[in-house]
Amino acid sequence: MAIHERSLVEPERILRKERLVVDGVDVSGDWNLIILPRVINDYDLDFAKEVINSPDGKTINQCYQCSYCTASCPVHNYWDERYNPRHFIYLARLGMIDELQKRADVMWRCVSCHKCTHRCPKGVLVEEVLKAILRTMAKKGLIEEYPSKKFDKFFTESVLEYGRIEDGELLFGWIEKQGYKVFKDPILKKPIPFIGETPEWLKQLTMKPIKSMNIGFLVLNAKHMLFHPRTKNWSRFKQVLRKVMQEEGALH
Amino acid sequence: MGVIGKRVAYYPGCSLEGAARSYDVSTRIVAKELGLELDYLEDYNCCGAMESKNVTFMGTMLLNARNMSLAKKQGHNVIVAPCNGCSFSLQRAEYFLETDKAVYDKVNALLREGGVDPLDQIPQTYHILEWFYHEAGPQKVKEKTRKPLRGLKVANYYGCLYTRPHFYARTYAHAGGQDEDARPRRRETADDDEHPYYMNALLEAAGATSVEFEPMHTQCCGGPHSLSDEMVSEKFVMMILQTAKRNGADIIATECPLCHASLEMYRHRLMMKGVPDVDVPAAYFTQLLGLAFGYSANEVKLKDNLSDPLPVLKRLGLA
Ligand code: SF4
Ligand code: SF4
Repeated sequence: MAIHERSLVEPERILRKERLVVDGVDVSGDWNLIILPRVINDYDLDFAKEVINSPDGKTINQCYQCSYCTASCPVHNYWDERYNPRHFIYLARLGMIDELQKRADVMWRCVSCHKCTHRCPKGVLVEEVLKAILRTMAKKGLIEEYPSKKFDKFFTESVLEYGRIEDGELLFGWIEKQGYKVFKDPILKKPIPFIGETPEWLKQLTMKPIKSMNIGFLVLNAKHMLFHPRTKNWSRFKQVLRKVMQEEGALH
Repeated sequence: MGVIGKRVAYYPGCSLEGAARSYDVSTRIVAKELGLELDYLEDYNCCGAMESKNVTFMGTMLLNARNMSLAKKQGHNVIVAPCNGCSFSLQRAEYFLETDKAVYDKVNALLREGGVDPLDQIPQTYHILEWFYHEAGPQKVKEKTRKPLRGLKVANYYGCLYTRPHFYARTYAHAGGQDEDARPRRRETADDDEHPYYMNALLEAAGATSVEFEPMHTQCCGGPHSLSDEMVSEKFVMMILQTAKRNGADIIATECPLCHASLEMYRHRLMMKGVPDVDVPAAYFTQLLGLAFGYSANEVKLKDNLSDPLPVLKRLGLA
């Protein structure tokens, strides 16, 4: 086991013996650490099949568990060592659903930087596979709404509606979703910055173009917030997109 | 040089027409000066960025295939995007359309159904930095420089997706020691995967000095999570800014609107919290090239940068 993966073993399964004799040889001091085995019988092999059947998940089978991906992952190294792509792939392939579920609180934290995919010596599209695992878990109701998924959905709905996104609306819409009271004008129902609640840092940041009298910038962004930029030939294409997303279970 | 073509379809992506207009404006200036032509992709749609792909696979293929089809209609075989997210999304679609026949057939059928011309041939996507480097290059930048960026110490920040993953970005596996035929597709235009240098080369040709910035130059800024997982993003941005500052950088050069926004947003938050060594401002590399070509701070829209690089540039007599 790679040394950085020690954290995968639950503390209660690690035994440290004062005196240890194996086949009559006293190995105390050198080999006094024992990891208790565990028996697994509640695996679900259909889980992996579902991942393999999606075009972005099919490379999961090429993985030979070398852990290069984990060793290069910034979320693992700088944030939380429980975030471990190699391990998620392992668990998904064995269909160890409850072990996956135990890690649901970190699994979504992947920042999609693709270092894992880039470094993998076996050509596994690691990031894609991880997202395919997450998607499968979400579809089966094994993982709850988590922040990045909520945001991804919110973003995608905006794209579906207009064909394009708009930064201001995304920002304020997201703030609203986080429980801030965003004030909206009564007619167009668009958020008005500075009147409702806004986190302090954001308020200060949005004040900058006002303080420096950057009129052109303000007008452009205000215009976009009021009249959401949209793709013109969109309605027919939108129907197709909607259909595809429904087929994938991404829309209800 | 000359492998991509001087006239290409330009896919600006949503943010360049909104909050990141300074990148758009300065990109056009640089292209014009370097004798290159951008053909604006009419009526494009969002590429789905880093978000939509987590929700729907086929949906993102379709979004990008639609843009590719528009480019073909405008007579282009090459699309150039100035954003890491956009070029990633397009290249990702390119990869799946090229390697998975089932995906390709399904996408074409759906395009037809949606009233868009199907793709008989898949256009190739490049990041704008690759394009500038290969169609103009440091030599041309040097020729055009009227006000060299003398004395400016730059940390060149490439972000993660410019070089990654090599399946999509076709970067050259520097450390892999691959032999000639095993090299990735279109290798001749690709930057080095672990040690990208195109931006360094262009800015150095314009008179700037690059500072030591590895490995943070390709470290993720937390961009895709910048609104949904603030703690991770904040930590990543802190590491990037502090590394730049402690290596003596006056400024961070960026080549992606998402990275840029993330750096500026979290720089502000970190400064409010009183975290030390994070006060390096950010500017798009095209803004800096524009200044070197003799354009004013107003013309390259430096006021749009929320981290305000103007004082630093003024101090050095560059703006
Ligand atoms: S680097 Fe690739 S082969 Fe190695 S553990 Fe990760 S996914 Fe598996
Ligand atoms: S894409 Fe996700 S799993 Fe891969 S290295 Fe980046 S954060 Fe880690």
